Amino acid sequence: MEIIQVVGIGLLSTVLILVLKEQKPMFAFLLTTAAGILIFLFLIGKIGTILGTLERVAESSGMEMIYIKTVFKIIGISYIAEFGAQIVRDAGQESIASKIELAGKVLIMVLAVPIISIIIETVMKLLPA
Amino acid sequence: MTWLGGWLRELILVVLMAAFVEMLLPSKSMERYARLVLSLLVLLTMLSPIVSLLKGDAAKELSVAMVQQEQDGGLMSGAGKGAGSLEKILADGRRLAAGARERSLQLAAEEVAGQMREQIAGSTGVKGATVTVKLAMGKSSAGLGGDEVPVISSVTVSLPAAAGPSQTGSTGGDTDIAAGTEPIEIEPVAPVQVDIGGENADSAISATEAAASQADQSGADSTDGKAANNDTEAIIKLLEANWNLERELIRVVGSGADTGKS
Repeated sequence: MEIIQVVGIGLLSTVLILVLKEQKPMFAFLLTTAAGILIFLFLIGKIGTILGTLERVAESSGMEMIYIKTVFKIIGISYIAEFGAQIVRDAGQESIASKIELAGKVLIMVLAVPIISIIIETVMKLLPA
Repeated sequence: MTWLGGWLRELILVVLMAAFVEMLLPSKSMERYARLVLSLLVLLTMLSPIVSLLKGDAAKELSVAMVQQEQDGGLMSGAGKGAGSLEKILADGRRLAAGARERSLQLAAEEVAGQMREQIAGSTGVKGATVTVKLAMGKSSAGLGGDEVPVISSVTVSLPAAAGPSQTGSTGGDTDIAAGTEPIEIEPVAPVQVDIGGENADSAISATEAAASQADQSGADSTDGKAANNDTEAIIKLLEANWNLERELIRVVGSGADTGKS
């Protein structure tokens, strides 16, 4: 039933924002941000449940924790970057939003650097000198 | 065969997780990048037997590399972390410097105390006096550009318990010969510190008691106290002259009738 709550918050805030936008665009933006944060907070518990289940399964099956940690970092970076970028985009700053997304992408790529280096080292060792 | 089963299980799990996480991702724009990292993870899992054959444990290698990367500092989070570690390094440096200064002050204090002891022994003839010097950082009276220099904050001279009788033996004449020949066990007088504060009365009483008991035990008369008094005065004058000290900083304790000079 949480989906009804989320949709209700979304609809309500949309109507309010439309009304408020004519009078005070600044407060409309604040309301947008607040509604976004509220919905995100609703979801963050559910995301936590999913990630907890993943972690438990991985732990019980003897999977290496470093893989799980890397995956979780990817998820966290992409969620936070997306959230921030959308708030900024709502405020009309498209260029800053794209910079935030760029930062998210770069940080995800930075996570890939150790993995790539290990793979490349292994391949280099396989090759005859 | 066991390692094959383990490897296969790990591979399946990683692929499953990658598919799951890809759905969890919030937007399309991030998806390509996340997919790249996830596919690299799958590749590493597939290669892990070869990696462990050539280099050691793949997961351990990866975690070491990750930790190293975090310590080196990534983009934004790394910058903050680097600043924190710089703060920590500076704080450590300050603490070490303070410790070193403390130790050097202590060494200097011991050196100064040794010199004072020699001077006291040389000029007043009191052997075995215990000199305790406390040094502290402070503004010098000469005003060396406002720099903090070590200054002597207090000097405590504890005269040995045997100093009284031997001194009186040399000055007092025949009255102490009996005391000198008889082996009398004299309890060493506990060092009495006299503050110029409110506890003056107590300390004075204890000091006079100590003096009285010493006088009783050694069988000396009142000239003993007077001689010790002279000694104390001489020591204070000596230290004042040689070390350019304030009179209040010098304490001479441990022999009789010295309380007034502290």
